[in-house]
Amino acid sequence: MKRIAIVEDEVAIRENYKEVLQQQGYSVQAYANRPMAMQAFLTRLPDLAIIDIGLEDEIDGGFTLCQSLRAMSSNLPIIFLTARDSDFDTVCGLRLGADDYLSKDVSFPHLIARLAALFRRSELQGKEIANENLLERDKLVIDINRMQVYWNKTHIELTVTEFWMVHALAKRPGHVRNRQELMQEAKIFVDDSTITSHVKRIRKKFLILDSNFDCIDTVYGMGYRWDPQR
Amino acid sequence: MNLKYKLSKFHPPIGLRSKVAILSLFLLCLPWLGYQYVWEMEKYLRYGQEKTLEGTTQALATALHERPSLFDIQASFLTQVEQGRDLYAYPLAGAIQLDGRLHDWASYRHRSINYGEDHQIFKRLADAPLNVSFNHMVGKYAGFLYAFFEVTDPSVIYRGTNSLKIDVNDHLAIATLAPDGKFKRYIIATQEDGWVSSYELPEDPKKRMPVTPELKIQGKWVKTRVGYNVEIRMPLDMVGSKLGFAIYDVNDKKTRILDAIVGTSAIDDVESLGTVLVPSPEIESIIKGMSHNSSRIWVVDKHGRVLAKSGDIRTSSSVWTRTVQDTPDDSFWGHFKRDYLHRFYYKILTTPPKDFIDSLQDSTVLKGSHIKNALAGRQGSTWRLTPDNKAVILAAASPIWIDDKVMGVVIAEETTHGIRTLRNKALEKLFNVILTIMSMGTLALFFFASSISSRIRKLRDEAEEAIDSQGRIRKTIQGSEVRDEIGDLSRSFASIVGRLGQYTHYLENMSSRLSHELRTPVAVVRSSLEHLSLQQLDPDTRKYVDRAEEGVSRLNMILNNMSEATRLEESLSQAEVDIFPLSKVISGCMQGYQLTYPNKEFLVSVTQEPLTMSGVPEYIAQLMDKLIANALEFSTDNTPITVTLTAKHRHAELTISNFGPLLPEKMAEQIFESMVSVRQQKAQDKPHLGLGLYIARLITDFHRGSIKARDLQAPNKKGSESAVRDKSGVEILVSLPYIKD
Repeated sequence: MKRIAIVEDEVAIRENYKEVLQQQGYSVQAYANRPMAMQAFLTRLPDLAIIDIGLEDEIDGGFTLCQSLRAMSSNLPIIFLTARDSDFDTVCGLRLGADDYLSKDVSFPHLIARLAALFRRSELQGKEIANENLLERDKLVIDINRMQVYWNKTHIELTVTEFWMVHALAKRPGHVRNRQELMQEAKIFVDDSTITSHVKRIRKKFLILDSNFDCIDTVYGMGYRWDPQR
Repeated sequence: MNLKYKLSKFHPPIGLRSKVAILSLFLLCLPWLGYQYVWEMEKYLRYGQEKTLEGTTQALATALHERPSLFDIQASFLTQVEQGRDLYAYPLAGAIQLDGRLHDWASYRHRSINYGEDHQIFKRLADAPLNVSFNHMVGKYAGFLYAFFEVTDPSVIYRGTNSLKIDVNDHLAIATLAPDGKFKRYIIATQEDGWVSSYELPEDPKKRMPVTPELKIQGKWVKTRVGYNVEIRMPLDMVGSKLGFAIYDVNDKKTRILDAIVGTSAIDDVESLGTVLVPSPEIESIIKGMSHNSSRIWVVDKHGRVLAKSGDIRTSSSVWTRTVQDTPDDSFWGHFKRDYLHRFYYKILTTPPKDFIDSLQDSTVLKGSHIKNALAGRQGSTWRLTPDNKAVILAAASPIWIDDKVMGVVIAEETTHGIRTLRNKALEKLFNVILTIMSMGTLALFFFASSISSRIRKLRDEAEEAIDSQGRIRKTIQGSEVRDEIGDLSRSFASIVGRLGQYTHYLENMSSRLSHELRTPVAVVRSSLEHLSLQQLDPDTRKYVDRAEEGVSRLNMILNNMSEATRLEESLSQAEVDIFPLSKVISGCMQGYQLTYPNKEFLVSVTQEPLTMSGVPEYIAQLMDKLIANALEFSTDNTPITVTLTAKHRHAELTISNFGPLLPEKMAEQIFESMVSVRQQKAQDKPHLGLGLYIARLITDFHRGSIKARDLQAPNKKGSESAVRDKSGVEILVSLPYIKD
């Protein structure tokens, strides 16, 4: 039984999530603030943590907690689930080592799909699977089972949201995917500019590896498409 | 709103700098004060000079006290002297050429006296007109007494060639009390023009015969148009203290009767003889001995007649001037002083003239209160202006005592040139200093005022810049570090703007805070509803849950929209700029819209030029989204939306126009503000917060462009209502700078 920790100061939301996750068959521990959560984590780490950023009197308590958790374990999946949806917060959270960043608009089915994907990814990490489900586009290789992306045979660290976006684009190269479609694929509900910044972050991650990367093409006013390397 | 305050007419528009400049005019009092001071000093100097001069005269007088031999007894004991009768031998500058022509007397001619009616001694016929008169003066040079007689006489009767008589013709008679106490008379007559011979008459005044020639008296007789001239000289030792001249006029050649006698004094007896004053050489040598060249010194007798004189008042360089003689300064400063400053100063100051009219140049008789005072036994001094007002002459006088009687006066004269030069020097220095002080002071004041006014202007500009035309806080004011009132003002401005900024910021963030705050309760509702919908519900309940979910998702959308602007602002501040072709972005967007809204007609005209610009293409796309959404919303059905992109003076001009309602009155500026919505309150299928055009403005501002909205009026207003409505609408103009290719 997977143990999920929820750190959220809003009682109603905490309880709602807790119940939903319990219905899904997870074992859930809910904490209202950072000290309580830390105390529990020091005793035993969960298999996955869902953290709100603002915790009671600590505005950025979630970030601090995320950092502490990352220090304790490098592969514990962490999801930020928060009402704060500014670019700045997103970037901050992901920099601190969170695996994903969801706003509280996310619907339960989406959330559950996310969790499942993360668990799958952490489970399959490092394991060999015989029937590999691979999507290959020139230098890009997407391992759908492990939810991992390789460029030039090098692994690129992507969040789950980013993974689904790359997947959506690379599935049908040359086709323009508008922002709405990308949102659906990534199972998030955000506005256009957030999609734009996600795409930008994806590009950056590829550019770090390969400064000539220009496969993700912006079609102004419509969306993005995957261009095979020219 | 930029409030233009009504300025009253009682406050003329004078800047601080001008005010300070006007105030600094008070510095102009300084030269006046300095001048006053120097003037006071000059008074003291004058007083000092007076005293000095009096001292000089006193010293001289001391040398002359109790020396009766210096004074001519005869004249000195007269109670009064009479001009014309009492002669004065004027000291001549050079020898006179005895030629009967009077041009070598020219410089002394003003001293000559005319003898006529008033001086007739005898007239044969009382009622006959007197037709003889003469001009006459005496002078002395080198031991000789010189005299000339310019006689006006219509009929000149010469001495007969063979007549023994010398007095039955026109002749000149001379009488004197010789130094040995003898009364001597001489007659000068001639048979023709030329050298004259003189004859001594016998001692007895009654007798006119026999005569003996006197060779020591020489002269010349020349006939003129009006009569004749006689020019004579005689040794001074023949002349005593009494002397008289007379012209005997004979008009009838036949009868040779004496018609009239005109003369300086009656010459027949000693008593009636006038005196002559011959300036005493001894006194002059005494004065010369004083060798005091700083002033002109006179010695006069008690009648004010000049006995001796030395020194020249013009060339006299007095004690005062000697002290201020300075060597010419060849430095730059010296040249500057000479060429500019002094030239300017002496427009105001007067240089003591080298040349002025000295009325006493060759006076024989001196008058004045100082002399009166001295004759009364007191020291005195006066100041007088020369007749041409060019110089002031100071004269001091001291009495000369002989036997407790004032027998003469020593007078010393000096111009005040020395003092004036001194004063001018002082004033020059003073003016230099004052000019320096004034210019420095004025400059300092000017810079001070400039700095103050520039600080105030800077503050004003900052205050103006801090808030834009819509009253939004653009940037904060940096409070000044200076700890004075202006610094205080700037700091308080800074804090005001800061506080206002905080409040504005609070208001601007209200939407995002609101959305942020609402998100959590919405999430609660939402997750709870989802819980409900996950359960098995009967259709009735399901209906309500679905409705609630719909409402919640709409709420969500509102919240997203609310925070969109704030998030855009945030991301704009961190945006990375790249170079992209604007035309491509616009046409790409338009293709997208044509796909998205197939039922709407778009009239697109995009220039062929790429219009490369630096910015963020996604934002431009977002801008287009907002503008097109706005145009769609307001355009009437079945009317096209026109989108044009052209290049105009280095700016890309993007216009998006639609037909539909005009802009509300006076709202053309405000529609780009946050939270301004000018829609009619009708049931809207979409939430609207009036953020669309605000976002559009944020993006154009970020790209350093401008955005304006204006009405498209129907060209013909006389048409029917509907026609006007169809033809009028709103055009939004976006102008963005692009990089020249």
